Amino acid sequence: MIKAVMVMNTQGKPRLAKFYEYLPPEKQQELIRSVFAVLCSRAENVSNFIQAESIFGPDSRLVYKHFATLYFVLVFDSSENELAVLDLIQVFVETLDKCFKNVCELDIVFNYSKIHTILDEIIFGGQVLETSSTEVMKAVEEISKLEAASNSITLIPKSASGWRNR
Amino acid sequence: MAMHGMRGLSVFISDIRNCPNKDQERLRVDKELGNIRTRFKNEKGLTPYEKKKYVWKMLYIYMLGYDVDFGHMEAVSLISAPKYPEKQVGYIVTSCLLNENHDFLRLAINTVRNDIIGRNETFQCLALTMVGNIGGREFAESLAPDVQKLLLSSSCRPLVRKKAALCLLRLYRKNPDVVNVDGWADRMAQLLDERDLGVLTSSMSLLVALVANNHEAYWTCLPKCVKILERLARNQDVPQEYTYYGIPSPWLQVKTMRALQYFPAIEDPNTRRTLFEVLQRILMGTDVVKNVNKNNASHAVLFEALALVMHLDAEKEMMSQCVALLGKFIAVREPNIRYLGLENMTRMLMVTDVQDIIKRHQAQIITSLKDPDISIRRRALDLLYGMCDVTNAKDIVEEILQYLSTADFAMREELSLKAAILAEKFAPDLSWYVDVILQLIDKAGDFISDDIWFRVVQFVTNNEDLQPYAATKVKEYLEKPAVHETMVKVSAYILGEYSHLLSRRPGCSPKEIFSILHEKLPTVSTTTISILLSAYAKILMHTQPPDQELQNQIWAIFNKYESCIDAEIQQRAVEYFALSRKGAALMDILAEMPKFPERQSSLIKKAEDAEIDTAEQSAIKLRAQQQTSNALVVTDSRPANGTPPQVPVSQLSLVKDHNSTDHALSHENGTLSKVDPQPPSADLLGDLLGPLAIEGPPGATVQSEHNAVSGMEGGPGAVDVSAIVPIEEQENTVQPIGNIAERFHALCLKDSGVLYEDPHIQIGIKAEWRAHHGRLVLFLGNKNIAPLVSVQALILPPAHLKIELSLVPDTIPPRAQVQCPLEVANLRPSRDVAVLDFSYKFGANMVNVKLRLPAVLNKFLQPITVSTEEFFPQWRSLTGPPLKLQEVVRGVRPMPLPEMANLLNSFRIMTCPGLDPNPNNLVASTTFYSESTRAMLCLIRIETDPADRTQLRMTLGSGDPTLTFELKEFIKEQLISIPMAPRAPAPPVAAPTTPAAAPTPQIPPNDPAALLAGLLG
Repeated sequence: MIKAVMVMNTQGKPRLAKFYEYLPPEKQQELIRSVFAVLCSRAENVSNFIQAESIFGPDSRLVYKHFATLYFVLVFDSSENELAVLDLIQVFVETLDKCFKNVCELDIVFNYSKIHTILDEIIFGGQVLETSSTEVMKAVEEISKLEAASNSITLIPKSASGWRNR
Repeated sequence: MAMHGMRGLSVFISDIRNCPNKDQERLRVDKELGNIRTRFKNEKGLTPYEKKKYVWKMLYIYMLGYDVDFGHMEAVSLISAPKYPEKQVGYIVTSCLLNENHDFLRLAINTVRNDIIGRNETFQCLALTMVGNIGGREFAESLAPDVQKLLLSSSCRPLVRKKAALCLLRLYRKNPDVVNVDGWADRMAQLLDERDLGVLTSSMSLLVALVANNHEAYWTCLPKCVKILERLARNQDVPQEYTYYGIPSPWLQVKTMRALQYFPAIEDPNTRRTLFEVLQRILMGTDVVKNVNKNNASHAVLFEALALVMHLDAEKEMMSQCVALLGKFIAVREPNIRYLGLENMTRMLMVTDVQDIIKRHQAQIITSLKDPDISIRRRALDLLYGMCDVTNAKDIVEEILQYLSTADFAMREELSLKAAILAEKFAPDLSWYVDVILQLIDKAGDFISDDIWFRVVQFVTNNEDLQPYAATKVKEYLEKPAVHETMVKVSAYILGEYSHLLSRRPGCSPKEIFSILHEKLPTVSTTTISILLSAYAKILMHTQPPDQELQNQIWAIFNKYESCIDAEIQQRAVEYFALSRKGAALMDILAEMPKFPERQSSLIKKAEDAEIDTAEQSAIKLRAQQQTSNALVVTDSRPANGTPPQVPVSQLSLVKDHNSTDHALSHENGTLSKVDPQPPSADLLGDLLGPLAIEGPPGATVQSEHNAVSGMEGGPGAVDVSAIVPIEEQENTVQPIGNIAERFHALCLKDSGVLYEDPHIQIGIKAEWRAHHGRLVLFLGNKNIAPLVSVQALILPPAHLKIELSLVPDTIPPRAQVQCPLEVANLRPSRDVAVLDFSYKFGANMVNVKLRLPAVLNKFLQPITVSTEEFFPQWRSLTGPPLKLQEVVRGVRPMPLPEMANLLNSFRIMTCPGLDPNPNNLVASTTFYSESTRAMLCLIRIETDPADRTQLRMTLGSGDPTLTFELKEFIKEQLISIPMAPRAPAPPVAAPTTPAAAPTPQIPPNDPAALLAGLLG
């Protein structure tokens, strides 16, 4: 099971934090800080794994990926395959890239709600929900359309049956 | 897009980003929270857009680490809003801010259920997501059937069904009863036929959770999993969007192989063959390529396949193929693959038969210890630790040592601990072990726990050969310019004890040793100063002939510390000073430390405890236990009083019964008392000599209570005696403490304990037996604060024993203990007992006791196991009297057969179960040692009558008629009655049992049993 998803920048500022096991906010911040402390000292061209048990307790693993100014971090337990989780980070980032055309940190900062929507279509309750970024995009676009429709007062939101036939 | 259009949110985020510091940020956040709170109070005026905007702001603030403790009710109530945007906001914020135990959640269950069973798929998705993230037990109970329906529904879109699968998984975790095994197993198998890979991936996750709990119920899913794997890995039958860097859904492949690992075995040969074909294909068809993502994905599948192969316990050929692959991986450029290669090799260690193949990669693994990535270095260290055994310990430990000086601080503690454990477990010889630990202290002193150096001291103390070596080594380290304090501690201890062994070497005179040590004193902490003071006292004592100058120097130091603020140092200084002026007394009190009782290393114990939970390492541990080197076994590990293990006769221990609990008292002299926290009751001499910070030798005393009590009363008691009794010599007015006969019989079974005790003296005994020789040490401990004088000890040996008692001092100083070694040689078999005639004078009292010495027949026995093939030829070759005797014994103390076997075992007569087909009979064997007989095998057969336990028939044979007779009588004595002296007032003088002169071996006349003997022969 995936325990947490974190996105933070290279200064340690959290950009996204989702914990699939409830933790009080102070604890979440503490964990983010501890992870950052380890990540920022790591060189390039090393593995994507760090020892997580000292931070998250027994039976926890951590993989991360570094893109430009951002770290993408996933914490999980031994029931997941490390490299498969690493691939999942890649799927997440590729989906963001499709969504924002060359995604950068600012996209993530200012489209906070959309990032959440995308993540929810990839990871569900700590389990891998969807691994095809094409499928994720489809789902996210549907939601966006629905929101767009409801935001405009002149448009009455269509019932879901409207897009069922597509 | 609309979502980009939340201007208010963007502005707020910009504001936060522009805050120059955390305080400003907090101000801005507080302002916003205040604003939101006010707006929420007047909810009617809020448009859905505004609500959504505020909620996202709240979430953003929450992510920044601020507690958002309001708006929960609003969030939950939004769930029941009829329109999508509000509902969406309600669900998202609820699942982010609330946890599963939140009271408000309960209020929403009905609404959530309505959304799930409603026809609006958007609402279904929202509801499923929320439940899947935070649903608790109550949700599980009320929603599970509806969620199951959605998952199985053919009219539902895959988007909904895959969420339903994972939602059900969450509910199952919260309450396993919600999935009814009987009904669900078939449905689960059905789900695995799903074509949509999204639904299939989610269903596979669900299956993994289900089979992890109960694989039997889901056996029908097993062939389906193999089919899915075949479809993906072999047929590559996957839609384009589920191909990731050319690999057919690596996640589904991985999950499927994970599910298969929960089935203990694959029975069906066809399924097994198909699976192995696929696995073989994965193992062989994966190459390291340039594209990192492709590499990761293909190796995710490959490593999972490796895990599955290990689980399935494939043929050795496939296993070696796996190890070969791993060997390739740990050398590749790609760091992730190096990392996982090492990790999987460590897992591989528990597969039998591949360790040797793994060892071939040792050089590469050692190289990985220098990898630029600390994650990889850690894995390499774990692997080296796991694969270490006697054959490669030297190489591995030396590599770790070498690496230690350059390793980062984050790893040094782990490195040094592991090196210490490995060195102890697998040392080929003890001097190497000492070298390793001293190097560890030298290179990583800060990370060396006390456990580690205590252990070295134990080994050096218990191994005389090691003492000069260790002393030389520590001296070399002390001469270095910078020395770690731990090194000073261990050096001070070892040099104090053993530097006199070097005194003839250049630069090792007591004075020189003293000055090397004393140089360090100004730089060390108080605990170390205490150890240094003890070392000085010992050096001074060992200086022969006395060196006036050295003495003055050391006395000056003692003088200086007599007023030290630290109580421990002060006490030591005062006492050492006083003691060192007493000359002869000093000799005994400051004598070398006795050997430590054999005990488990606290380090290894710790390491093992830590490993207990991890099944992965248990195999390693098991292996380690089997292969532990013998080099560090200080003494023969024969249990003291229990059933002796099957030791070959030739393997005799030099120091016997070291693990006897009786002398677990061999604590260190206070400075080392943390080594092994023994129950205080065992620490007798601690009570006596504790205040002196000096420890007496082991084995002197048992019966701590007596000791403690009488020890305290000794002084005043002595005064009383002399006050009441007229001043003239009186004999034997002193009553012994405890039952002398009981003590004697106890000592017949064990090798150390108290032989005699009265208010003034305690006589302890410790014995070591080897073949027909024995070395006993009498510990004469004066419990009083006045000296015991006219001490005399005489041995009245029986004809078959040669006993030499070393000189017993005439006076035992107050509270001191003297040791009198006693050499015993057994000339021929006899049950006669030696007697110690002991007397002393205390005040006006002359005390004289006669004590039986536990140098009895069974001490010259060594247990031996005899196989059927050996026993019967021997038994038959003894053709009756006088070599083989038989007797019917009556009046036997009734006891069950196992108890009798234990009794015999306790006399070192080994029962050989299974030799006699009759379960009512016992067959036993032992070897007897004496000068005349040398090692002689004795065979015993006891036939009991289950109807009458008070009688039995005993047949006994050996190559010597006297031995046969004596041993028969000896066993008979043990069986007939409990050898106990009367409990009534113990006689002041323990009269020696004057056994009747040993009858010449002959067939006892008039014995009907003897007549029967001929029949059995």
